[in-house]
Amino acid sequence: MNPGFDAFVAAGPWPQRLGTRALVALARRPRGMALLRLLSPADQLGTSLVAIARYDDPAVSRPLGWDAAAVIARGRTLRSHEGRL
Amino acid sequence: MSSPRNRALTADVCVIGAGAGGAVVAAELAEGGARVVVLEQGGEHSTDDFTARPPEMLARLYRDGGQTITLGDPPIGLPLGRGLGGTTVVNSGTCFRTPPHVLERWRSDFGLELDERSLGPCFERVERSLSVAEVAPELAGANAAVARRGAERLGWSHGYLSRNARGCVGSGVCAYGCPTGAKQHTGITYVPRARAAGATVVTGADVRSIDVRAGRARGVEARLADGARLTVEAATVVVAAGTIHTPLLLERNELGRASGQLGRNLSLHPATAAFARMDELVDMARGVPQSFYVDEFAAEGIMLEGIAGPPAYAAMALPLTGRRHAEAMASYRQLAQFGLMVSDSSRGRVRSVAGRPLIRYDLDDADVARFRSGIARLEQLFVAAGAREIFLPLPSGTRPQAARRRDLKLMAFHPLGTARADARPSHGVVDGDLALHGIEGVYVADGSVVPSALGVNPQLTIMALATRLAFHLLDREVSSDTRPGVGMPA
Repeated sequence: MNPGFDAFVAAGPWPQRLGTRALVALARRPRGMALLRLLSPADQLGTSLVAIARYDDPAVSRPLGWDAAAVIARGRTLRSHEGRL
Repeated sequence: MSSPRNRALTADVCVIGAGAGGAVVAAELAEGGARVVVLEQGGEHSTDDFTARPPEMLARLYRDGGQTITLGDPPIGLPLGRGLGGTTVVNSGTCFRTPPHVLERWRSDFGLELDERSLGPCFERVERSLSVAEVAPELAGANAAVARRGAERLGWSHGYLSRNARGCVGSGVCAYGCPTGAKQHTGITYVPRARAAGATVVTGADVRSIDVRAGRARGVEARLADGARLTVEAATVVVAAGTIHTPLLLERNELGRASGQLGRNLSLHPATAAFARMDELVDMARGVPQSFYVDEFAAEGIMLEGIAGPPAYAAMALPLTGRRHAEAMASYRQLAQFGLMVSDSSRGRVRSVAGRPLIRYDLDDADVARFRSGIARLEQLFVAAGAREIFLPLPSGTRPQAARRRDLKLMAFHPLGTARADARPSHGVVDGDLALHGIEGVYVADGSVVPSALGVNPQLTIMALATRLAFHLLDREVSSDTRPGVGMPA
């Protein structure tokens, strides 16, 4: 779905990884989210996790005025022109 | 399959860790003529590898994907950098000198003879090395302008922050790797200096043991990524693995335990932030994320500082769920955010459990009160700035003065104190020269030596203390002049 998000989840410490994956699986489903609302603040955590993946998607972030690729490209150009590390 | 080749190096000084403290010590020592080996557990981050995408950069630049959490009431996210540059790669770059009242407290409470006279040259040297300068208003961004408007209308003391950035263009992703190389983290400043001066820098080196015999340091042993063993013979060892991992390394080696303070006295500067929807376009990730501060309430232990990031960051940080979350994110371009950091009186502890750090930290009543007050001030700030809607970091309907400990949604970025400096061996892990009490040749140079919360961002303090240590080891006076050859042997 989002390789960056998958890497983020995989990078977590093992005690949390299982929990994170379970939370994300629940939060992606309407019934799962309804269940999480009963377990507040799990609903907030689930929302945050799903949201970081969703809004990291350039198709979602570009209409919001953010283009990560453009930021990186500008950085590369600057470094090239000015000899920065 | 051939077995990995074990290696052995010899040095005057072995530095463990290449973050704010370790990289500074290594470079200054190497330039001073010492033979230096640096062992860094993490990898080397190239600016070319930065993508400005939060999930991927959290996985790559942070320990445990940035998912370190304290155990306590409430739990607190504690993201830690990992690799050459450590947390300086991912921090906001904010630079404050140690406040004078903090230095006075260190003198009175911990017997540390550190004052402006002794630390001034160290601060100057670091500030020159890292191009520390105040953020220009035109780079501060519209997010800072919102906070400034509110502060000015309220008559609150405020200003633009000083940062270690040169040629910043406001990319807005300090926490995810600066894509322009503007942020002068130690990985692109002190580490290259160390290498240029002849230091050997080894990444992927997991230090397992510090060899101390007859009360004197002999060297260090590390496990490399390929499984090989690396031994460094050195009469001086500088431990700079960070506030969370330095005490664990020392404990594992039965060092620094005499006072009973190892791993204790953890302060965090717990923090939170509020969002607001404004009428104007803010585009919070355009500009320096942390460019502005309000120190009106600093004497109460409350510091307000900017914070911001791209949509993925905001989506993760917004204290909303469901439809409200989606609606707020739909107006991301109009969202402003400002943060609050508490100079904590709470103290925690770090221990190793099953080979992993267990960070125990509970917020005390005084800090809960500070958060209630601080969150109320954030709301006041945004109201004064003309916010249309304010999103406080509390459960829906909870007013700041009624917030319970468990209602608080907190992060922290400045762990300090777990190998605290104190002139008395009975009260500290290291002495005023950052030497381990009772052991010859082992020093600590990271946030763990800082004996109290600072109330301001700590990187400059850590770097100044590391600079002081390096020159102490060289038996030279610190020169604030960083021109090559000045103050150094020919």
